[in-house]
Amino acid sequence: MSDNMVKIIIDDVEYEVPAGMNVVDAAKWHASNDIPVFCYHPKMEPVGMCRMCLVEMGTLQRNPETGAVMTDEDGNPLVRWFPKLQTACTQVATDGMVFRTNTQAVVDARENVLEFLLTSHPLDCPICDKGGECPLQNLTMAHGPGESRMNFSDKMKLDKHVPLGDLIFLDEERCIQCGRCVRFQDELVGDDVLAFHERGRTLQIITNSDPGFDTYFSGNTTDICPVGALTTADFRFGARPWELTEVPSIDPHDAAGSNISLSVRLDRDFGGRAMIKRVMPRQNEYVNELWISDKARFGHHFTRSEDRLQKPVVDGKDSDWATAISTIAGLLEGADGDIAAIAGSGMSNEDLFALRSLVTANGGKRLGAWPTTHTGADLVAAVGVGVGTNLSDLGAGDAVLIVASDLEEEVPIWRLRLKGAHDRGAYVVVANARKTRMDDFASATPRYQAGKAAHWLDGIDKADPEVAKALKAAQNLVIVAGAEGLTLDGSRALMQSAANFLIDSGHYGKANNGLMSPLPGPNGMGLHYVGFTPEVTADIAQNPPKVLIVAQAEILSDDPYARAWLDKVETIISLNLFPDAVADMAAIALPIQSFAERDGTFTNGERRVQRFYTAQGPMGDALPAWQALSRISEHMGQGKAKASAAAVMVMMSNELPAFEGMRYRELSRTERQFPDISGDDMYYGGTAYQNKGGLGKVIPTTAEQGETPARADVSLPPVLEVGKGQFVVLPATRLYNLESTFRPSTLVHPRIMSPFVEVNAADAARLDINNGDVVEVKLPDVSVRVRASVNGGAPEGALVLPRHLTDDPTPMTVAVGEIAKV
Amino acid sequence: MNIIKGFATTFKHLREESITLQYPEQVRPFQERFKGRHHLRRYDNGLEKCIGCSLCSAACPADAIWVEAAENNDEQRFSPGERYAKTYEINMLRCIFCGYCEDACPTQAIELGHEHQMSFTDRRDSIFTKEMLIDAVPEGGQPTPQKVEAGAFDRAIPDMPDPK
Ligand code: SF4
Ligand code: SF4
Ligand code: SF4
Ligand code: FES
Repeated sequence: MSDNMVKIIIDDVEYEVPAGMNVVDAAKWHASNDIPVFCYHPKMEPVGMCRMCLVEMGTLQRNPETGAVMTDEDGNPLVRWFPKLQTACTQVATDGMVFRTNTQAVVDARENVLEFLLTSHPLDCPICDKGGECPLQNLTMAHGPGESRMNFSDKMKLDKHVPLGDLIFLDEERCIQCGRCVRFQDELVGDDVLAFHERGRTLQIITNSDPGFDTYFSGNTTDICPVGALTTADFRFGARPWELTEVPSIDPHDAAGSNISLSVRLDRDFGGRAMIKRVMPRQNEYVNELWISDKARFGHHFTRSEDRLQKPVVDGKDSDWATAISTIAGLLEGADGDIAAIAGSGMSNEDLFALRSLVTANGGKRLGAWPTTHTGADLVAAVGVGVGTNLSDLGAGDAVLIVASDLEEEVPIWRLRLKGAHDRGAYVVVANARKTRMDDFASATPRYQAGKAAHWLDGIDKADPEVAKALKAAQNLVIVAGAEGLTLDGSRALMQSAANFLIDSGHYGKANNGLMSPLPGPNGMGLHYVGFTPEVTADIAQNPPKVLIVAQAEILSDDPYARAWLDKVETIISLNLFPDAVADMAAIALPIQSFAERDGTFTNGERRVQRFYTAQGPMGDALPAWQALSRISEHMGQGKAKASAAAVMVMMSNELPAFEGMRYRELSRTERQFPDISGDDMYYGGTAYQNKGGLGKVIPTTAEQGETPARADVSLPPVLEVGKGQFVVLPATRLYNLESTFRPSTLVHPRIMSPFVEVNAADAARLDINNGDVVEVKLPDVSVRVRASVNGGAPEGALVLPRHLTDDPTPMTVAVGEIAKV
Repeated sequence: MNIIKGFATTFKHLREESITLQYPEQVRPFQERFKGRHHLRRYDNGLEKCIGCSLCSAACPADAIWVEAAENNDEQRFSPGERYAKTYEINMLRCIFCGYCEDACPTQAIELGHEHQMSFTDRRDSIFTKEMLIDAVPEGGQPTPQKVEAGAFDRAIPDMPDPK
């Protein structure tokens, strides 16, 4: 028995459990004993509100002199029982605790609690969205009274259709007042937007924010709500839970790679094809625990948008695959090797590999990554967070540095988990030129001048010696380095400074230490590992090739300056989900499948290669990109097209060292995770789904593979020259925006900010700009009309201009511009 | 001897009244509880009883019923509850007329009637849609969807036998 293990007895059997473990958790994990709960949740502090978990509790009687357990004549240990039942959820395991969970007293208590809850619970099960996976239903069946002594017509009537914001509805009658939703928002998210109102049975959940339920994590409350009181506007009555098929998948929106489960069902309105009815979290304690952001949950509509490109387009006319493929083959042959490709991070690893094979087989060398905002993925590959990293392990004694990133908007799940690290006592530093949401959960918030993130980190010892010292002294250190307010060169400099810092302080090559980057899209690291870099994209822009393949990179919608060089490319071949502006320019536009329609893998920001599975029926003639590309290769006599994504991965794992051992079978391995939410006991962890699709596998850093990472000199980018009357314009990311993969989720549109620019109060006063005024922001060759927002979000001398809020692109990287009232 | 016995039986029956019915001109009356093809019922005011809960489809041992639900609103109200069946189909080739759906239905929306003459020349025709299954609007009722007064129906499941 190690020091921190204690012995407790549950139903006459002795178990060894960690000291201080919650008794409900201990009973479940070590004794497979499901103590029923409503208000307790393994990720939150217990509150003991619902009384469902009542058990008999006692302590072993010990001889005061010898300390030995006293026994009766039969040799059974003597137990000093508490006179009344105790709530198991508020007890932590200590040596000599004794519990009984199956006595008549406990059975009666459970029955009484349930009968009491049901006195004012409606009989809505037939239409309730929770019906079929409802903890209250399940526990009533298991522990409830068979018959009610109450009069049904005498029930309390409350509002059944209360919108809490745009995304969540509350049914006040169904709420059993467990407080899980309120506590989740308060404790875990830190967006304290829900509250209890009134008392007794009229007590209701209300939202006290404007707009209502203003948080990026609201959907999770519907999962942990033990009843159907909270439902999402997205799914509402979409299907009954038992009719849905759960397909493991990966959130296609950001670098976290949250594990999700796509609940699909055939639908008449979707031509009888399988349609995504809702998105649920899938447990992966390394990646997203039990949570997903609202973007992951509600941003799936693009996969079945009617605007999807559905047929190959050759020379502006709808065509078919045979024609398109032979035309492309002809173009590639005629290019004399002057071929390049630019890929976006919506491409799966397999897609990227097929693209790489096609380009290189035809003499092309240049593989560019899109967008050209972030770089340094190579440094993440070298000194990234080690294998076994779990952000939930960070706590007291550890440190996190978040620099040049608005994590809440870029990778909300990381922000949620790092807030947790801060709560557990980690030293969290949020360095930025401006205030971001993460500041609220930071121990220190050093500011640098707009555009000077790399300068700051490179000279941190002088600029913020205290911070630097604390970071270096930390037991574990994770640096999350973004690219906000930087050019591509600036991003490189920042990433190199971050890598140098980690190398100097020795925080690399082991779990919970190293570098992470909120690379845009789900597969930023995959782009790196298959050989696509943003630097090459910059080179392609300088020297446009004869034939350019643009795959899932909406260059023209992202970058106002790209048309100039794209025009110089002789032939563009586009592969995309949507007929975007690049597809319009292209000689050939190929429709490809979204993540939901096929199998594949993404490599997330922690270098975890994770599988997603086919969920939705295909749109039109679209093919998976890897298939389309390898058919072209086959047509050109460059090897036979592979039959499945798995086969592409086999080939990849043989050819690219990073993907060694990443066979699909390996990636779909799972293990028992704490908290154990598997099985039918959905009351314990909420309706997050058990992971049946695999936990994925992390590509080890080169540091872990024995390579000593070398410090490199940082070449700091030139300081921006800001003239009189000019401002540094910082492009910012908004989670909810008009990107093509989010725009079709119209449900969330009310939450997309109307275009605005954040102006510093002092600057605004000088220019006589008031909050809400229409202003014109003039940048080189671009000008946009937006509303001014003077809300303390911009440092003096800088404008924060969020991207993707208008149809016309605004600059992707930091620039110098002017502002004027119109 | 046996021949005489045989003919005696024949003559005996000749004198009896015939029990053969000239179906389909003549139809034997059905037992009240005979289970024929289904009907989706309406309330007197024309609203549909079905609330799209899919319990019939869950209960169906032959997996013959397909329900897709949608939400009512006061502009377009199909049923007095919160939801209604947007799609309701029964595959009559699969159905074994056991009546479990009728038992499962919380609003008595689905009832097995006495109609049994169903034949198809195409398998697709065996799928009876909601339009085919639903009763005609009763006299005095309104067809669905109805535009109703806001807030007139605030229950998730109608608890009235016949909502006005
Ligand atoms: S919350 Fe559960 S018990 Fe209550 S109506 Fe819904 S399914 Fe039934
Ligand atoms: S809405 Fe759900 S989670 Fe919130 S208090 Fe009520 S029952 Fe609990
Ligand atoms: S017929 Fe009855 S059981 Fe079937 S969906 Fe409609 S209400 Fe539910
Ligand atoms: S009181 Fe223990 S789970 Fe609610």
